[in-house]
Amino acid sequence: MTVHTGPGTQVRGLAQVPVVRAVRRRPPVVTGVLLGIVCVVTLAPFVWMALSVTKPTNVAFANPPVLTGYTPTLQAFVNLWQTTYFADYLTNTIVVAVISTVIALLIGIPAAYALSRFPSYVSALLLVLALVFRALPRFSVVLPMYDISRALGIYDTTFALAVALVAINQPFTIWLLRNFFAEIPRELDEAAMIDGCTRIGMLRRVMIPLMRPGILTAGIFVFLFAFQEYLTALVLTDSSSKTVPVFIATQLGQTLPMLQQAGAASLLLTLPVVVIAFVAQKYLVAGLSDGAVKG
Amino acid sequence: MKPREFWLLFSPSLVVMVGLLVLPLVRTLQWSVESVRYGTPGTFVGLANFTAALGDARFGRAVLFTVVITVVTTAVLLVLGYLVAIGVNRLTTSRPLVLGIMLVSYVLPNLVGAVAYSWLFDDNFGGLVNRFVEFLGGSPVLWFTDQVPNAAVVVSNTVWHMLPFAMLIVLAGLQSVPTELREAATIDGASSLQTHLRVIIPTMRGVLGFVTLISIMDVLRTFDSLIPLSPQAAAIGNESIMMYVYSVAFADGAQNLGLGSAVNVLTIGLILVMLIPFIRGIFKEAKVAR
Repeated sequence: MTVHTGPGTQVRGLAQVPVVRAVRRRPPVVTGVLLGIVCVVTLAPFVWMALSVTKPTNVAFANPPVLTGYTPTLQAFVNLWQTTYFADYLTNTIVVAVISTVIALLIGIPAAYALSRFPSYVSALLLVLALVFRALPRFSVVLPMYDISRALGIYDTTFALAVALVAINQPFTIWLLRNFFAEIPRELDEAAMIDGCTRIGMLRRVMIPLMRPGILTAGIFVFLFAFQEYLTALVLTDSSSKTVPVFIATQLGQTLPMLQQAGAASLLLTLPVVVIAFVAQKYLVAGLSDGAVKG
Repeated sequence: MKPREFWLLFSPSLVVMVGLLVLPLVRTLQWSVESVRYGTPGTFVGLANFTAALGDARFGRAVLFTVVITVVTTAVLLVLGYLVAIGVNRLTTSRPLVLGIMLVSYVLPNLVGAVAYSWLFDDNFGGLVNRFVEFLGGSPVLWFTDQVPNAAVVVSNTVWHMLPFAMLIVLAGLQSVPTELREAATIDGASSLQTHLRVIIPTMRGVLGFVTLISIMDVLRTFDSLIPLSPQAAAIGNESIMMYVYSVAFADGAQNLGLGSAVNVLTIGLILVMLIPFIRGIFKEAKVAR
């Protein structure tokens, strides 16, 4: 057998034939420059927003832009905190995201496990339904939810919003988790059950520890979806359980200081997400590469 | 697994989905043939809502705008996603950093990203992009009140937001292309471009199809990003289908639920048609697994 390798690769015995390496032999100079541009463009809106928000109001709205010679200020953040109910909105957003992530995983994990271990037309049909639900225009479920939540008297509650988001993201949760479960060999559950575990006990003691990265991935995505949700929150909340994205949208088109406050709020919402993107990068990539993503 | 166990494990999720997705959906179907306001029983009007929607010039414009941005965005996403994925695939040590930076625009709240993005074009905030255009010798563009430039802003924002997704899916696809295939092509004297066009892209057809599908589905639902990016959407003809639904069925006391629901039903129909190949794939897989 002949092994073809690129000029930049070394063959140190067959076991080490660098299968992936062979593809990456060219010194990535042009690539590096182009990707550098992509990264700069990716970050440009935030950098600009961060600059605009930390300028004094009269400088922030100057045209052409003033880039140097002003004293940076955090006044927009102070105003945001003092003159609006931002703290409440932020609390609502976090509470909704946490509650919906926990419930979504609690009911999604057993469901996804069941789907991965029960090959039949029923599970295929349920997967198809999940795919269809994931693709639905959100208004087609949210407008009736508005009507129903008013009738039930739970309109404008954090609970109603959290539960709505669990349902909306559930198809995604079970798809993603099911794909992860499918990678765990079935023999493992059988072995555990022969050793005397019940199905539930085995799920709890064997599967969940094994699935930790998968569960983390799904949890991060569901959290992010709930954290950023605008449309559902817009329709299902009014004042007492309003979330930050809805607040930001109402601040737009108002006075200049309010615009700056909206920018400050946006930055505050962005920072944790940026941290998540970097820290949990591995899990996000795993989730995306595993296909079925995006609520 | 026994059927009883299956249903036991699946039932909590099923209850939530039936109660909160299926029932509302049934309500939407019912509303689409009724004249109805929130909290009141509707009266059956047959297909009047559908004819009203299809005969409404504003809806027609919304469909046209949505379809155009969907097609353009998807095409750009596929090409750029592919090119960036090839680049990232060559990276070694800097890969986590590049992926981390690129993921930022994907994971952050849609609306927040659109607000930040709009400020680059906003002359109130120094109009960075316009200053750049002037620097290149052009004249400032009316990004928010001129239809075509505004559509370009909307498209570029969506590309900016979804490029990481497209890139990562393509990247995963690239890594599943057998190395032997590429090498065989190289030995046969194919240029790099030929290898991509004749060997790699055809083997990745499924992956590219997936990116296309998700991109189409997402852009069809465009709503939140238009709020900061296109404040004059309805006036300049850059309203999306979902904005149209929102404005006829919800905003400012407008309660034409029947019309909004009819548009939703039409959109669902369109999405279902696009999903057919994927649905067939799932059933085929199920047949194999049995």
